[in-house]
Amino acid sequence: MEFPKTTIAAVIIGIAIIGGIAYEHYLSSQKPIIVLATTTSVYDSGMLDYLIPKFENKHHAEVHVISVGTGQAIEIGRRGDADIVLVHSKNLELSFVNSTYGIHRIGVFYNDFIIVGPASDPAGIKNLTNSTEAFRRICERGFRGDATFVSRADKSGTNMFELKIWSMLGITPSNKTYAWYIEAGTGMGSVLRISNEKGSYTLTDRSTWLSFKRQLKDMDILVQDDKILTNPYAIILVNPEKYPNRNYKGALALAKFMISNEGQELIANYKKNGEMLFKPLARKIELARELGFPDQSNELAWYDKQKP
Amino acid sequence: MMCEKMFENTFLEEILNITLLSLKVSGTAVLIGAIIGIPIGTALGFGWFKGKMMLTRIIDLTLKSIVNTFMGLPPVVVGLVVYLLLTTSGPLGPLGLLYTPTAMIITQLIMAVPIVTGVTMSAIGSVEKTVRERALSLGATDRQAAWTVLREARTGILTAVIVAFGAAISEVGGIMIAGGNIRWVTRTLTTAIVVETNLGNFDLAITLGIILLSIAFIINLALTIIQFRGQKR
Amino acid sequence: MLTIEVQKLSKTYSGRQVLKDIDFKVQSGEVFVLVGPNGAGKTTLLRILDLLEEPTEGRILFNETPVDYSAKDKVALRRRIGMLFQQTKLFDMSVSDNIAYGLKVRGEDKVTIEGKVRETLKLVQLQGYERKNALTLSGGEAQRVSLAQALVTEPELLLLDEPTANLDPRNISIIEEVLTNINREKRTTIIMATHNMFQAENLAHRVAMINNGKIEGVGTFQEIFGRPSEPVKNFVKFENVFSGLSTAFTEGTSIIDIGDRLKIEAAFKKSGYVMIHIPPEDIILSSQPIVSSARNMFEGRITQILETESAVKLKVKVGESKNFTVQVTKKSFKDLQLSIGTRIFLVFKASSVQII
Repeated sequence: MEFPKTTIAAVIIGIAIIGGIAYEHYLSSQKPIIVLATTTSVYDSGMLDYLIPKFENKHHAEVHVISVGTGQAIEIGRRGDADIVLVHSKNLELSFVNSTYGIHRIGVFYNDFIIVGPASDPAGIKNLTNSTEAFRRICERGFRGDATFVSRADKSGTNMFELKIWSMLGITPSNKTYAWYIEAGTGMGSVLRISNEKGSYTLTDRSTWLSFKRQLKDMDILVQDDKILTNPYAIILVNPEKYPNRNYKGALALAKFMISNEGQELIANYKKNGEMLFKPLARKIELARELGFPDQSNELAWYDKQKP
Repeated sequence: MMCEKMFENTFLEEILNITLLSLKVSGTAVLIGAIIGIPIGTALGFGWFKGKMMLTRIIDLTLKSIVNTFMGLPPVVVGLVVYLLLTTSGPLGPLGLLYTPTAMIITQLIMAVPIVTGVTMSAIGSVEKTVRERALSLGATDRQAAWTVLREARTGILTAVIVAFGAAISEVGGIMIAGGNIRWVTRTLTTAIVVETNLGNFDLAITLGIILLSIAFIINLALTIIQFRGQKR
Repeated sequence: MLTIEVQKLSKTYSGRQVLKDIDFKVQSGEVFVLVGPNGAGKTTLLRILDLLEEPTEGRILFNETPVDYSAKDKVALRRRIGMLFQQTKLFDMSVSDNIAYGLKVRGEDKVTIEGKVRETLKLVQLQGYERKNALTLSGGEAQRVSLAQALVTEPELLLLDEPTANLDPRNISIIEEVLTNINREKRTTIIMATHNMFQAENLAHRVAMINNGKIEGVGTFQEIFGRPSEPVKNFVKFENVFSGLSTAFTEGTSIIDIGDRLKIEAAFKKSGYVMIHIPPEDIILSSQPIVSSARNMFEGRITQILETESAVKLKVKVGESKNFTVQVTKKSFKDLQLSIGTRIFLVFKASSVQII
């Protein structure tokens, strides 16, 4: 009986494709790859798409960006699935460093959180400079059924920060017990759009807000310029002693690039609608100390000392 | 003017890159899935494991149950399992495959194999007895009869492959976890739609959605034509 | 040519005995016809003769040699046998390729195959059908292709399972003609199962009556049906066979006047004198007149009740002298509370009326 020629052809094509992919994989692995785990709030701003190609050209490397919540980004680093993390949640960062999986935490840039909500402002928080008081009013109005609040509920830096404010008020909000508290479980952009649809309040970082502003017709910035709303981002390297196969050298190069004068300047120049999204922090020792980086000067010295 | 031009180019280039990657990942997964799934489905369809012995029967039943369970496997669960296998501290960590197209191919392969196996199994099962007996009775050897059954089940087997490809190309949860959705590297049509929607880039999301729909439409068109031919005969 | 001998053959399927102690011998060149009701075991017997199944007990001898069921011998032996199933299953390929299949698996060369296929197509009167896909054919054409598939390899023994069931008269007569010819010219031994009594009478050298898995009589048609034994008379002889003048209508139906002022509507189109048959299992019984799509309904009186192992057969007298045989399940027999003398309605579809 004849062996169908098409079957043989299909098998040959199959082997060729697999071989091709394997070869391509081999080729692409010639360029060193740096895996950066970061937060959606940084990624969604588009800043990395502007910054990283400049680094890649200079260092002949390829940066793969995994964009998730801060909690997951740190977990990815802890498991050794990334070389470097760029996140914003002080407590999670410190426990990552304390566990010795992460090393050389350094503040790199900052922006600030803002409370946004419907222009009609049913909770009456407009122009407050005390974010805790604003949260209290939203909660109070929420119980009366006049206001709702959308939470990221994804263990992201923004979410952790939001929960910190609630805990200062002695509240542990949850969708289950409070009808006014909506746990979205999604990224910042989605949460902003949900808030816009529902006429809810939410806490956001300024950069994402600026990126989405045009789509959020019914919303306004209601609370800003509260000192505690400052939102600093940190770089942490994955400990090469834990994962010797990771690209530690690449991670170091990327970190050095971002905290270098050139990198800091590039960050400051990244603007949307004429507004600066992230402000340089790495070389402002005093400000960094205030924002929770007591070792900033030591770390900066350490990074500057490392050979590129 | 120059700037706009450049933007246009990268925009198209990225869409092309995303589309090709989707086709490559799903195509490879389904191709390997077919190479694995068709023989297993054939063996199960022919009842080669269905001996008189208790053990072979248990193997047959177990395999069939596994196939049926895995046919409805939630992609995100597969993605999670692949992630846990490939993560640096996981059992296959040293291969360094996490967040690569290979990881996505593995994820979709795990979903494609049961689909190809299951559909092949039922396609062969439905013609196996009558065709085999007719072939034997016309003087075929067992091997010739088996080839004839395969030949008669070809429409069903082709359907199996197309169905698996359709499932793979429209899958999102699994490859998001295993592939990491890295721009230019592991971003496919479906994961790009998720990300662009989150970013509020609805123009790009819709463009990608239309491409995905077109691919799905072509797949279904092919399937309908094949089935129509089958009916006409 | 082949002589076939079946000795003490029994077949049991998971405890159910389908064939019991079958014994017969078929001479080379003989046409041996198996008659009997549905479920009598005819198909199983033919499948065993085609080596598709093994007997539970007993043995088969081809040319005095007992069958060896090792795979190699089975193929070699099967290649001397042609079989035509009741349910035709053609392959999804052209008519030519279907017919060539048996030759291809035997490794014949292209030229031989082409010649033989052409010859066989002519035999079954399907010239010009070579390139058609076999699955597009009508039932009658498909059955003729099936017959050609079996004949192209010039088998020494031809097994036929109800080869003309549900076919129209033209296809029946083509198939019968082919069978007569190859038996006469090539001395092919034929073992055939049929419902059709006229076919049995026309073709058979000898007839075997099978009922409930047992042979209840072997002999010439005259010997079996001329002086029938009791069971033969009860089960087979001319059940629901009527004749009369048929008038065809444009809608594709015919009305047959079978006398006694009884008119039967049939789903074929034929005028003139015809003989028809209604399968007993196609008739529905009802204690009251019922409205249904079935075109035929007659009132009658039960004259005879015969319980068999699996079903109940009733003789129902309609009009002055027409006897219908009806087969019902034991359960519905009980449910309808039937007894001799009960008045009852017979209902059957026009499409159940077969021309013979």
